[in-house]
Amino acid sequence: MLAVDVKNINKIFANKQDTVEAVKDVSFQVNQGEIFGLLGPNGAGKSTTILMLTTLLSITKGSASILGLDVATNDKLVREKIGVALQDTGIDNLLTGRELFFTTCRLWGYSKKDSEKRTAELLELVGLMEAADRRVKTYSGGMKRRLDLGLSLVHSPEVLFLDEPTSGLDPGSRRVLWDEIKRLRDNGVTIILTTQYLEEADELADRIAIIDEGLVVAEGTSDQLKAGIGGDVITFSFENNDDLENAKNILKSTVQEKNELRITVKDGASKIPGYLKDLSSNGVEVSSVSASKPTLDDVFLQVTGYRLEGSEDIKKEEEKSKR
Amino acid sequence: MESNRSFLLQLQILTKRMVLRVVRRPLAELPNIFISAFFLFVYDGALGDVFGGSVSGTPFDFANGNFVNFILPVSILSASLSGAASGIYLVEDIESGVFKRYQSMPISKWAIILAPMNVGAVKVLLQASLILLIGNIIGADPVVGAIGYLVVLSLAFIGGMGIAGYSVAAGVKSGSSQGAQAATFLFFPALFLAPTFVPREALKGWLQTAAAFNPTTYLIESMRSVLVEGWVIDVLLKGYLVGGIFAAITLFLAVTSARKATEKA
Repeated sequence: MLAVDVKNINKIFANKQDTVEAVKDVSFQVNQGEIFGLLGPNGAGKSTTILMLTTLLSITKGSASILGLDVATNDKLVREKIGVALQDTGIDNLLTGRELFFTTCRLWGYSKKDSEKRTAELLELVGLMEAADRRVKTYSGGMKRRLDLGLSLVHSPEVLFLDEPTSGLDPGSRRVLWDEIKRLRDNGVTIILTTQYLEEADELADRIAIIDEGLVVAEGTSDQLKAGIGGDVITFSFENNDDLENAKNILKSTVQEKNELRITVKDGASKIPGYLKDLSSNGVEVSSVSASKPTLDDVFLQVTGYRLEGSEDIKKEEEKSKR
Repeated sequence: MESNRSFLLQLQILTKRMVLRVVRRPLAELPNIFISAFFLFVYDGALGDVFGGSVSGTPFDFANGNFVNFILPVSILSASLSGAASGIYLVEDIESGVFKRYQSMPISKWAIILAPMNVGAVKVLLQASLILLIGNIIGADPVVGAIGYLVVLSLAFIGGMGIAGYSVAAGVKSGSSQGAQAATFLFFPALFLAPTFVPREALKGWLQTAAAFNPTTYLIESMRSVLVEGWVIDVLLKGYLVGGIFAAITLFLAVTSARKATEKA
């Protein structure tokens, strides 16, 4: 049985002044025990998709099921099966971590004794045992995210939805959370996560759907998506804008990114001399050229026509933290 | 896990959580208690000798010789304003996203909505009891005996629930805790568009008319009846009836607006 089956869902928000189609047409399937990443920029429709799948928003058109249960007609049963850690779900800052876990355990139906036991297990799991009796307002951002993740695991859900779980975290905290998410997957939990970080999708997701303007524009494993580009990526840089414009006319099928032109070809390294010769004979000066295997960044650029902002920042942060 | 997660158990767990929040912010509770006690002391100090009949030659002894008895309902109703916290608590949960977390769990939405109202009710009872105690210490002495305090407390509770319902409706409508707080300031003028310092018949014409349409008037008069006059059944019944209708209307508004807030968009 599929863990998640989404068929052509659509979401329209309408009020007296305005109508917004937040999700146009999204379909995907998630197998049990895999991490599925929804990758896209802010406003792409990722969070709205998650809200519909977690029964917090109605679906305007289309259908979705979790473990065979229709989210529209079986919302109560669906909520029993899923864990949810949304970007804007709140944590009560005035309570301690232990009190929050205990309260959540009790609400999920555990007896007082079992709630105490489960609270201790989860505090241990998310590494918050030492801070258990401190009020949450004293926790760091990373600790709050781990607490949030722990709270979504109280009832041992079969399917876990994580909406931008590492957004705003420092590299160290991000790594800790990534490890915890992978451990959950290894224990058989199906995870659907949204992210706007390419590295996060690449590192965590078994399969990725790139979502842009409410549509799924590409889907597959990271390797499949990269292979789909059809070869190596050659990047030409230009100092002069006229050179860049001329080069665009000479090299066909390029994608421009600031002062760079990218072209995807098979066996890229061997083609570089030929391209340089063509450009040079037309008086175009190239400041630098390189060939590389495609990255998820290249995939995103190719399928959406623009680069995902924020991914550069996370890359720099990761490099800085390694140093 | 227990298979049966009853509504009452959910309500109890969520109420306990809300109580913890209140206990962890004790300073937030002080202003309302302070103002209610302040009203009692200041009005008694300033007007007690005039309207209490002990200044020679004054014709106004409608307090039957004990002005604390007469003014106590005003402070009690001021204490009942603490019921407004219900709306603020609920909207704080909506603003912080805690409300959404509970919505994503298979728990009753009514438990989520009623928990802050429960806490509001307890606060009204505690604050009104405290003011009654202070009143008793400085000289209040119901003519019907100690049972008069219970009557006053029950009327304060009804009024407090009315205010709680209003604050929940206003809070959910405005969508912010500041909005809920601002909306409850309406009750301060209501406290004074009433026979606050003198009986209704001593008010000027326009104020007498305004007081007739103000539910606060009937709550004050019914509380006063047991404190100052004795068992005046028609006045007492009017207080319960008007207070009950007021509470029923605002609680209906609270439930309707909260239901809209919990509906899926």
